[in-house]
Amino acid sequence: MARRAFLTFIVVLLLAIGMLPVLSMLARSVIVDGRLSLASYAGLLASSRQWSLMRNSMVLSCLVTALAVAVGVPLGILLGKTDLPFRRFFALLFVIPLLIPPYIVAVSWFDLLGREGLLMHLVGATAAGATARLLFGLPGCVFVLFSIFLPIPMLLTMIFLRTVNPRLEEAARLVSNWRGVMKGITIPIILPGVLLAAMLVFILTFGEFSVPNFLRYDVFPVESFTQFSAFYNFEAATAAAVPLAAVTLLVLLVEAAFLRKRTYQLRPFSESERLPPVELGARRTWLSACVGVAGLVIVVVPVVVLIVQSAGMDAYAEAMNRAGGSLLRSLLYAAIGATLLTVFGFFTGYLIQTKAFRCWRSVDSSTIFLLALPSTVIGIGLISLWNTPRTNLVYGTPVIIILGYLAKYTALTSRISVAQLAQIPPSMEEAAQVAGAGWFRRMGLIVAPLARRGLLSGWLVGYIFSLRDTGITMLVYPPGHETLPVRIFTLMANGSPDLIAALCVVMTAATLLPAGILWTIPNLLTRKVTG
Amino acid sequence: MKIVDMHSVTKTYGGATALDGVSLEIAERERIVILGPSGCGKTTILRLIAGFIAPDTGSISIGGELVSKKGRIIKPPEERNLGMVFQDLALWPHLSVKGNIEFGLRARGMRKAERETRVRTMLDLVGMADYADRKPAELSGGQQQRVALARALVLEPKVLLMDEPLSSLDLELNLRLRKEILRLQETLGVTLLYVTHDRDEAFDMATRVVSMRRGRIEGVKTVSSSRGETA
Repeated sequence: MARRAFLTFIVVLLLAIGMLPVLSMLARSVIVDGRLSLASYAGLLASSRQWSLMRNSMVLSCLVTALAVAVGVPLGILLGKTDLPFRRFFALLFVIPLLIPPYIVAVSWFDLLGREGLLMHLVGATAAGATARLLFGLPGCVFVLFSIFLPIPMLLTMIFLRTVNPRLEEAARLVSNWRGVMKGITIPIILPGVLLAAMLVFILTFGEFSVPNFLRYDVFPVESFTQFSAFYNFEAATAAAVPLAAVTLLVLLVEAAFLRKRTYQLRPFSESERLPPVELGARRTWLSACVGVAGLVIVVVPVVVLIVQSAGMDAYAEAMNRAGGSLLRSLLYAAIGATLLTVFGFFTGYLIQTKAFRCWRSVDSSTIFLLALPSTVIGIGLISLWNTPRTNLVYGTPVIIILGYLAKYTALTSRISVAQLAQIPPSMEEAAQVAGAGWFRRMGLIVAPLARRGLLSGWLVGYIFSLRDTGITMLVYPPGHETLPVRIFTLMANGSPDLIAALCVVMTAATLLPAGILWTIPNLLTRKVTG
Repeated sequence: MKIVDMHSVTKTYGGATALDGVSLEIAERERIVILGPSGCGKTTILRLIAGFIAPDTGSISIGGELVSKKGRIIKPPEERNLGMVFQDLALWPHLSVKGNIEFGLRARGMRKAERETRVRTMLDLVGMADYADRKPAELSGGQQQRVALARALVLEPKVLLMDEPLSSLDLELNLRLRKEILRLQETLGVTLLYVTHDRDEAFDMATRVVSMRRGRIEGVKTVSSSRGETA
């Protein structure tokens, strides 16, 4: 009874925090001056500019997806399947751009390739002018977003490779070399994972506005954001957000219809069950050199450029002076967000994993839908629902920011919990039940301690994504409560390049240092348990 | 003539000894069954012969040719001309029955017409001709066994390795498939190396039963034509 009541409470909370704002936004988009009207949509559909923006968004998303998958999948295979040297280091290296706010990567490339960037001092103004022209526009947007989202196909390929039954590959090894095994068996088996990665990259690129906005490539999400923040035309902003939600929903429906059926019954295999890495032989050296160069260009160069650009204590003193408060707020909100995301995700994950309710699949799909939804859509939805005099206690305080984090990122912690809970035999909880323990006691004393590694990983992921969030926070933060990513974004209009670079370095450090420290805790815990 | 020759093979996994100086000779067309409890090293012998792992010490020859020795795999699995039926069958879920059987023929670069003929013959031989286009998930346990057998035999291997292939089946199906495996072995004249923990099954399938315990061979018994009589 307690289990049912509590999980019902979680579902209701999920609906209230995530889905209600979206529904409220939809309703507001068709009600003008208290009457049902499609005027906003009529204006939207009649505008050739909107169609052009949508086309730009589609072109950008398709190119980034194609490039990220074309590079990410072979990279994932190299790092997850072969004896390439330093493969763990490379895997961590390539993930870094995904962990920091996307526009920081764009700022860094601007500092290098812009008209007055570092490159100008090295090669002169003419060449720098040419690179600047490439950076501002479609090619620059594609490259920057590709470098940010590359880890998605890379990681999903590595994860799915771990779930391929080693016996399937051994059976093929009896008759074919590794190239044939990969082509005929392994890659077709991990294809659902590759398609899932492609879908995620497409949706995330489609909803991204900070990078295209900075690199002056007009896309649809920028329109929604501009309508709201520059013109404060809420109806137009809402109407512009709805097509974004529609495209997201469409892509997810395609995923549900085709990909889930193609996902074979795969389970992760332990280190001892897996086959030894594929030996690259003579190709090992030049392949590791290729991966090293790619890591250097995609990850190391942008970080080094920011550090060089911000060199000197003055820039950091100025950064702390102008954004110290934002940094502290960011850390605090991210910590609160991560804690609530962990709790919320744990119970949502438990509900999904145990199929506690008949609607477990809808709960799962709702969280995924919210994760995939562009941040601007969730931000506008939250404003639409909570911006009333009666709810000012939420809208006028940082609570609205935390609600935004919960709405957007619950799917991440929920999925981590599902993966962790799947490894705990149901008999563990059943044994406690037979011994007379109530549901809360079972959760607190048996299930949660067994899932502690997943809980810690969930907290870490929740912290990183809350800290890097720009899209939602930018739209909903109450006066005096801006976070560091928002502060940097607003300062980018008139701040000096060294100040912006210093703030970006601080932001990157604020993400990576706690992440690095916390990353070791789950590993230490595992060692303690297994050792 | 000896088709497989394992000589003083030792294999350890992280300090635990799986095989301890095992020597085993298998003659052509022989049916050897390795019998023993879980963890005694029977599957390790199959994996060593298949070439998935290398011995720490000792050597392995197949058809008179050295294929592995002391930490080295000299000939990779695909060049050993072996067939194998795995305990969990390892049928490729994304390929049809025909695709599963045809995979090895494609890997050898065989022409389409010849492939079709070989696949058809093999499907007829295991009684699965009507199921060629089905996916493994659409087959019963016994049918999946037959497909696994056909896949292992289609390349006319020198040796057929079978790793507890019937352990997950009910007794009736288990008995029926034993007969089918024996019929196929006799028809195709293939050498059989079969692993099981079931004594009854071992003496039913073997011309020689090798008993193993804790990584060592405890004894070898020759089985006469009438079941259970040993020499």
